[in-house]
Amino acid sequence: MQRLKEEYKSSRKPKWCDNCGIYNVLDAMAASFAELGLDPDNTVVVSGVGCSSRLPFYTSTYGFHTIHGRALPVSTGIKTANPERTVVTVGGDGDGFSIGGNHFIHTSRRNPNITYIVMDNEIYGFTKGQNSPTSRKDLITKINPYQSVEDRINPVLMALSFNTTFIARTFSDDAEQMKNLITQGILHRGFSFIHILSECTQYNTDTRWENLKKRIRRLPENHDVTNRLDGMKLAFTDEHIYTGLFYKISEPTLQERLQEVYDIALDGKKVGEYSIQDVLKQFE
Amino acid sequence: MSELTIRITGTVGDGVISAGDIFTLSAARTGRFVTTYRSFPAEIRGGGNSIFQFRMSSKRVLTAADKCDILMSFDEQSLSENISYLKNGGILVYDIDTIETVPSGNFITYGVPLKTIAEKEASLRARNIVGLGFLAGLVPQLKMQEQLKDDIHKKFLKKGENVISINKKALDAGYDYALHIERKDTLSMLEIVSTGKKLIMSGNEAIALGSLVAGCRFYSGYPITPATEIMEWLAKELPKFNGNVLQCEDEIAAVTAAIGASYSGVKAMTATSGPGLSLMAEAIGLASMAEIPLVIVDVQRGGPSTGLATKPEQSDLNIAIYGTHGDTPKIVIAPINVEDCFRQTLNAFNFAEKYQVPVILLSDAALGQKRECIDEIKLEEIQVYNRAKYDASKDDKQFSRYVINESGVSPMSVPGDKGGAYTATGLEHTEDAGPSHSAEMHTKMTEKRFRKLETAVHEFKAAKKYGVEGAKIGIISWGSTSGAVIEAIEMAKEAGYMVEALYPRTIYPIPDEWINDFLKDKELLLIVEGNYSAQFANTLVYKCTCMNREIKIYQYRKYDGEPFKSNKIFEKIQEIVQEQVHKYTLKETELSQGLKEFSL
Repeated sequence: MQRLKEEYKSSRKPKWCDNCGIYNVLDAMAASFAELGLDPDNTVVVSGVGCSSRLPFYTSTYGFHTIHGRALPVSTGIKTANPERTVVTVGGDGDGFSIGGNHFIHTSRRNPNITYIVMDNEIYGFTKGQNSPTSRKDLITKINPYQSVEDRINPVLMALSFNTTFIARTFSDDAEQMKNLITQGILHRGFSFIHILSECTQYNTDTRWENLKKRIRRLPENHDVTNRLDGMKLAFTDEHIYTGLFYKISEPTLQERLQEVYDIALDGKKVGEYSIQDVLKQFE
Repeated sequence: MSELTIRITGTVGDGVISAGDIFTLSAARTGRFVTTYRSFPAEIRGGGNSIFQFRMSSKRVLTAADKCDILMSFDEQSLSENISYLKNGGILVYDIDTIETVPSGNFITYGVPLKTIAEKEASLRARNIVGLGFLAGLVPQLKMQEQLKDDIHKKFLKKGENVISINKKALDAGYDYALHIERKDTLSMLEIVSTGKKLIMSGNEAIALGSLVAGCRFYSGYPITPATEIMEWLAKELPKFNGNVLQCEDEIAAVTAAIGASYSGVKAMTATSGPGLSLMAEAIGLASMAEIPLVIVDVQRGGPSTGLATKPEQSDLNIAIYGTHGDTPKIVIAPINVEDCFRQTLNAFNFAEKYQVPVILLSDAALGQKRECIDEIKLEEIQVYNRAKYDASKDDKQFSRYVINESGVSPMSVPGDKGGAYTATGLEHTEDAGPSHSAEMHTKMTEKRFRKLETAVHEFKAAKKYGVEGAKIGIISWGSTSGAVIEAIEMAKEAGYMVEALYPRTIYPIPDEWINDFLKDKELLLIVEGNYSAQFANTLVYKCTCMNREIKIYQYRKYDGEPFKSNKIFEKIQEIVQEQVHKYTLKETELSQGLKEFSL
């Protein structure tokens, strides 16, 4: 049933800076939800803390604005407890790759049926401009006033190494590509990671986004999305920044494997047939 | 006296715990009351002693006893370190093949060639079972042999028929040896009557079982000594009820996954120990602020930091009550024995659901490990409470998740409920869950969240009294000190001192009405706890206004990683009674710096 994207936006007005990339992402998410005909009461948008993590307040779905870096384990809990809900997790590059980095690895291992959208503006915007794990190496900020002392990470490359089962990258200017990838991610059986490069117009103006945009290319038509090594080669962003679907494989989800655990544990019985009285027998 | 206490010691790997477990189960299955004490080092191999003490009786027993009637040792070092636990006139059983130097003293000695018998009749690895058989053979009138073989069968079922039969042979060999030695003791006179079927379980099992009965269907955790057994038990049982157990990458993922599940409408729990609880602090604040029911179990161990992983302590009270930043309403509960572990876990879930708060349940390493007999559980009598739910059919206006009302408890919607959508958040918020930092909102919401606790402490039985009603000497304590304290009170009564004890089960919010009522006729107060910094005493004195009277406060604080002993507490009671009664001055007592400043 086709719905309007406005149905998925709440009446609250977002407070992001003018021309912030997040507006476009919110719009693309709403468009994707409309395309899929999702029921807002059956959808949960989960976030951590940061500018992009404010997004759930501006949707009309259920939401959970958790704590910094912990959106993924909360999402896993929500999805496991209630597999019928559509769960979409959002956050920024600091939330997702710094404090939340560890959870990214293990959520990939578990492959829950969750879509994870990271809005990467290569800066900590909410706390007014510090280096993030994806910041350019020559970025000068108030915490690194002389020079940056750390290297930067490559999220798509990381995801490929953890064997995340759906990996895509896009840019917040490309409304159509964002909507398509989000839709595909939600439909994907398993953990979908969508890396969205997004402009911070307030604190990362140095990043010369115009130059960055010039380096963006769509992935080659003939790219085999089941080939991990090929995906890795294309993930290096020295010359071109490729966008599109990098990787997609079909693996049992966490929910499917937990269902199997029930069957193995019940060993032929049906769920109601095993009672707490039966449990008490082991203590006699 | 119709009871028997046996202590088995050896190096890690000697099968001390295994043997002790089997004897304990057999004793319970032959209808006796049993309670145990287990101690082992954190390391799996490589030195360090394992100790298992159990006490069987025809009456309910509260502690595993200070001293034992029989000490059985497999190696020299553990023998020399544990000989002081043997009663005068007791029996020492030792492996004469592996132990050369045997201490002398007022006890009967049986040197048994356990190693040789094992190698000859069964296998060297079954030496501990030979010892077990020997013990059973010392008291053939208790008729333990057949039950022991049955329990050996159950225990080694997974290892196959061959292993089972070797161990049965080992048991019989030890038993027969005992029947043929020259006896110098009077154990054959011992009679411990059977008093009907019992359930036997450990503290950790009781908590796990309690959570299942309370309706928990989601558990997430990270392995940590001494709480891991809770996860292991639930991993086996929860899937049979279509519940889920997730092993997470760390304690922060564990607690936040549980929060997600509970937000989603499924009762959730996580269990950990001190180091894990420290990690969970921020998330506990989220559950409190977003008003999400949650149960967190802390099986306390020696601290601080990595501390002593397998030793009990009561030093996490501070972090349980005060460990989260901000004004964070939560409830802290402490069970006093294994049966109470089951009951208080039910309470924990009921409180969490009713008041939409995080509830921390404090156990400890000794309570978690010890096995005790409990009365049959009558499921029909158990009350399970569920959260106040949002009624989709009622309201057609916008649902306000955090509506401010008299009780402070706002009906909760869960994803899937039509018209109930809201964004839960750790930010301060308005009634309809929008972010807010206004002065008015923060004031009203803080008061609302704490208002929920004001009813909590009155609605449930927060504390219980033991001993002589109306006595002038009082003891207030919490958690697993109960066995030793109650036994000490019995000893005191026989010596002519009347003592009454109060055990709060809800430690926070402080049940000040119960405590003030208890103290009104008391002249002396002894506060007993297992930590150095007087965490419980500090909290009591700060919160209980009745304390500003002419009451003399004493403390017995123990922080050596060993359980409390009843005779030591009895000695302390004697000491404080015999001390001259000075004018009430804090300097006279052993109180910590914090209490000294709180001059009344």
